[in-house]
Amino acid sequence: MNAILFRQMMKVHMKTFMNYAFGSAFYILLIFWLYPSIGKNVDAIDVLVDAMPEGVGRAFGLSGFGTAEAFISGEYYGLILILLLAIVCVQLSTQLVAKLVDQGSMAYLLSTPTTRAKVALTQALVLVTGLFLIMGVTTLAGFAGNAWFLAGDYEFNTSRFIEMNVGAFLLFFAVGGIAFLVSSLSNDEKKALGISGFITFGFFSLDLVGKFSDKTEWMRSFSIFSLYQPGEIINGNVNLGLSFTILAVIGLVSFGLAVLLFRKRDLPL
Amino acid sequence: MLNVEHLSKTFPGGKGIFDVSFSVKQGEVFGFLGPNGAGKSTTIRHIMGFMKPDKGTVTINGLDTWRDQGKVQALVGYLPGEIAFFDGMTGKSFLDFMGRMQGVKDLSKRNHLIDLLQFDVNTPIRKMSKGMKQKVGIVAAFMHEPQVIILDEPTSGLDPLMQKVFIEIVLAEKERGTTFLMSSHSFPEIERTCDRAAIIKDGVIIAVKNIHELQSMQRKLFEVTFEQEAEMQAFVNTSGLQTETSAASPDGGGYRVRVAVQGNYDRFVAETAKYRVRNIDIFTQNLEDIFMNYYDRKGIVQ
Repeated sequence: MNAILFRQMMKVHMKTFMNYAFGSAFYILLIFWLYPSIGKNVDAIDVLVDAMPEGVGRAFGLSGFGTAEAFISGEYYGLILILLLAIVCVQLSTQLVAKLVDQGSMAYLLSTPTTRAKVALTQALVLVTGLFLIMGVTTLAGFAGNAWFLAGDYEFNTSRFIEMNVGAFLLFFAVGGIAFLVSSLSNDEKKALGISGFITFGFFSLDLVGKFSDKTEWMRSFSIFSLYQPGEIINGNVNLGLSFTILAVIGLVSFGLAVLLFRKRDLPL
Repeated sequence: MLNVEHLSKTFPGGKGIFDVSFSVKQGEVFGFLGPNGAGKSTTIRHIMGFMKPDKGTVTINGLDTWRDQGKVQALVGYLPGEIAFFDGMTGKSFLDFMGRMQGVKDLSKRNHLIDLLQFDVNTPIRKMSKGMKQKVGIVAAFMHEPQVIILDEPTSGLDPLMQKVFIEIVLAEKERGTTFLMSSHSFPEIERTCDRAAIIKDGVIIAVKNIHELQSMQRKLFEVTFEQEAEMQAFVNTSGLQTETSAASPDGGGYRVRVAVQGNYDRFVAETAKYRVRNIDIFTQNLEDIFMNYYDRKGIVQ
């Protein structure tokens, strides 16, 4: 890892990170603000959800508005945050390696006394730091929202909320790893963006479609997104240790492979 | 200082470089000549360690450029053929960043180079012209005072005045004992600075010669305009030079003859001096034409 490069890259991408982080924080606060008005009418809303086709409710995590964290998991962690972080992973991983190779500016980095492994590792770390920042700000905003809008009047399970955030981070550690691996192997920025976008949103769609009905359930087993189920985390009936470990391993292996293969390959600089 | 030994790399499709060998001594300026697509950049990518050779090695000061990444670069300055910088930087912030990456503490060299090349470092890079970007690249390649400087088409985009400044910078560095490898597709560019040069064609080195030998090998094309047709005819028939009469256009343009000269300048001057000459023009030619005889001869041998 190269501290000078890391600082430079953070400077370049900090604005993007902060835009996403504050966007996310704002959204989660909005949902906390909305909850009290819904929390009072839980029964009515449950009736409404029950009236919808079963698959739809499951696909978008519209189940159980009984607690604040359940409401938030359904309204935010089930869909919007996932899409947001998927975009961050695909875009940023492409910019961090494939774009520099495609443009040719990677030549400048590699002409200085550093190794390719260090450059790749540093760029990977920038991506992970970015994800960590976005999730960190989101989590903190969640606590702020709880203190501010719910003020103890409503149930809020702090440890489950944290688990849900850690899970989201790990899911995108894995997704980011795969996208970064694609980026490290590409000479063409557009191709890298296309392939990692296809993989990421392909996984996402498999998971989403899989949730619609029992007949499509099998599709989910092909998607890493099925390893993160915010609704289930809130209900507490899922083996977090296993899914979290698998996600962490997928991420570590992908990033590791990316660094290793980037070191060995021919670069058209 | 810089040793390229039996370097081979074949790309899918059959192109590549084949058994490229040459060495550059310390303090020498070595030219690397070839038309576009001949394998210059591929060779340089191997020298910079961006590609892994199929066979052969490149060493700089005894360090293998593929295996000893991280150590070799401390000795090397590099100007890429295609200048691409990072987004959202000014010339200054780019040079600051590169300086930190290279571990440069002393900025006097950098400031001196900026002075010589005369450009505004505070301009955002995306607003810079090609020539200005080239200047930033040159400063980045020279400012850490490396022992070896690799330049890929260094003067592209520079105006003639700046090309001259650039040559002065190279010669001053050479005085200090810096070793250079400079690629180009134009012989005149190489001629002014280099001690020796290699000519590459289709991935194969066809000659490594000192610059004086190359100068005598090169074939220049002059267009001589005579006042009178009879004199032109006499010149063509008796000079013994290789000539070619262009479509005669006596309507005020005079009588033109193209003369190919290779080393025999004395003869050319003596023969033309016998007649009344209205004009002499030199033709700018591409590399294959300049070394046409050489290319052809090699072509037959193979």
